[in-house]
Amino acid sequence: MTDATLKSSAPLADSREGMTYLETLPRKVVTVYLPLFIILVVLLFPFYWMVLTSIKPDAQLLDLDSSNPLWVVNPTLQHIEKLLFGSAYPRWLFNTMMVATVATFLSIFASVLAAYAITRIRYKGAATVGGLIFLAYLVPPSILFIPLSAVIHNYGLFDTPFALILTYPTILIPFCTWLLMGYFKTIPYELEECALIDGASRWQILVQIVLPLAVPGLISAFIFAFTLCWNEFIYALTFISSDHNKTVPVAIISNFVDGDIFRWGSLMAGALIGSLPLVILYAFFVEHYVSAMTGAVKE
Amino acid sequence: MRIGRGGSFIGFENYIYLLDDRDFLRATGFTLVYTFIASIFKFSIGLYLAVLLNNNMPFKALIRAVVLIPFIVPTVLSAVAFWWIFDTQFSIFTWLLQKWGILEKNQLINWLGDPLLAQCSVIFANIWRGIPFIAITLLAGLQTVSPSLYEAATLDGASKWQMFRFVTYPLLTPIIAVVMTFSVLFTFTDFQLIWAMTRGGPVNATHLMATLSYQRGILGGRLGEGAAIATAMVPFLLAAIMISWFGLQRRKWQQGENND
Repeated sequence: MTDATLKSSAPLADSREGMTYLETLPRKVVTVYLPLFIILVVLLFPFYWMVLTSIKPDAQLLDLDSSNPLWVVNPTLQHIEKLLFGSAYPRWLFNTMMVATVATFLSIFASVLAAYAITRIRYKGAATVGGLIFLAYLVPPSILFIPLSAVIHNYGLFDTPFALILTYPTILIPFCTWLLMGYFKTIPYELEECALIDGASRWQILVQIVLPLAVPGLISAFIFAFTLCWNEFIYALTFISSDHNKTVPVAIISNFVDGDIFRWGSLMAGALIGSLPLVILYAFFVEHYVSAMTGAVKE
Repeated sequence: MRIGRGGSFIGFENYIYLLDDRDFLRATGFTLVYTFIASIFKFSIGLYLAVLLNNNMPFKALIRAVVLIPFIVPTVLSAVAFWWIFDTQFSIFTWLLQKWGILEKNQLINWLGDPLLAQCSVIFANIWRGIPFIAITLLAGLQTVSPSLYEAATLDGASKWQMFRFVTYPLLTPIIAVVMTFSVLFTFTDFQLIWAMTRGGPVNATHLMATLSYQRGILGGRLGEGAAIATAMVPFLLAAIMISWFGLQRRKWQQGENND
């Protein structure tokens, strides 16, 4: 099922003309461009507001009447400067990056082995295991965080980066395994049979034949896992207590908020800079991202 | 039971206690309402957006990429932006309403302070955050529909609406079922958005089951009770999965595909 759906999404896309020549321009403006424009404005406004707030001087932030609040008169970088040099923000950014990278690589390593075993090694109940792994993905962190917090305490990992590095794979491994299973199924079995006849071991087949062919799948799995880690909030909120070890989402919520109105600028600058790495990553791999998202959902 | 200490088996005591807990019942009710309203809006706007994006237009790839941004940016960070947008004194919405003369000058709206308004605000933020995912996945589904079907329908004299209702929609049903299952599951177990915007307040009006479970279990130190609240979400999730699973299977059978 996967190979069919993955392939079929691309080719039809841009060549379609169909009966669209029947549509006149004024009609299209009303039925397509106008509604699209309104939805886009609503979807993008919060980011516009975020960017604007982060470069507005405090005086303009708190006085909506003297100048138009939808524009900025004397843009300033003071909020961003305060954030980068006057707070522990770089440290939080580093924490997030480190935890996300390590957890992602750990999970992808485990997922490759799991997905390969489920799709290629024939044993009783392989399909059931695959289904159960998918089911594990549907159990969200907001159900698991209390049992996991007991585990974390018992191992003495509370408030260390390891608490996050070891718990994030509980979400990542099921998801990546599921994604990679789809990719591995599309690789022709004959290739592996040839390698077996030539005397390759299972490990050699995996490393030298399957993985090179599954690079697009690995990239999508990497991007998804990294995004999920960066997004993760409830584990980081529960398992980390000292400022030094916090990740960006948790630090933004707890460290800039003390009822002090003048910190809105820094708060927005922090949110903006915290989103940038993901947006940049996404800008490079947008095609992978979309195809993996739709491929994974259709699976 | 406190963190790090052993416990004793108490059977279903925590659950029985919860049945009489007004806050828990209220959170459950609001979670259902939140999921229901948000899912309906996300689905209809997402589907509409997908149909719009499926048209030929200049800058198509760029527009599609831009639509995904709310999905890329970490939820907490966009929730912070909404928090600022819904600020009581400096809300841009209030300013616009004043500007357009709907509100008196100096009349303020307590967006996140009034229980009902706060509930509407968080639901709005959730809808905003969920639309891109649904729109982009449904768009991928729309692109697999063969143009010749639309040509045939046009020749038979079908209107735009009839084409959507009798060609697009039936072909899209399987993917709609999957996407909506995901959407419902993740909306039901939402935590980040609420915690960043209201922390369950005002007067517990916006508590979802997940946030209540965090407040009781971690902040309040009553782990057993928190875990019971979290576990109470499972039957709802199972029901959602079952509904979509059987709905999906029936569709596949109608189209003559294998159920593998």
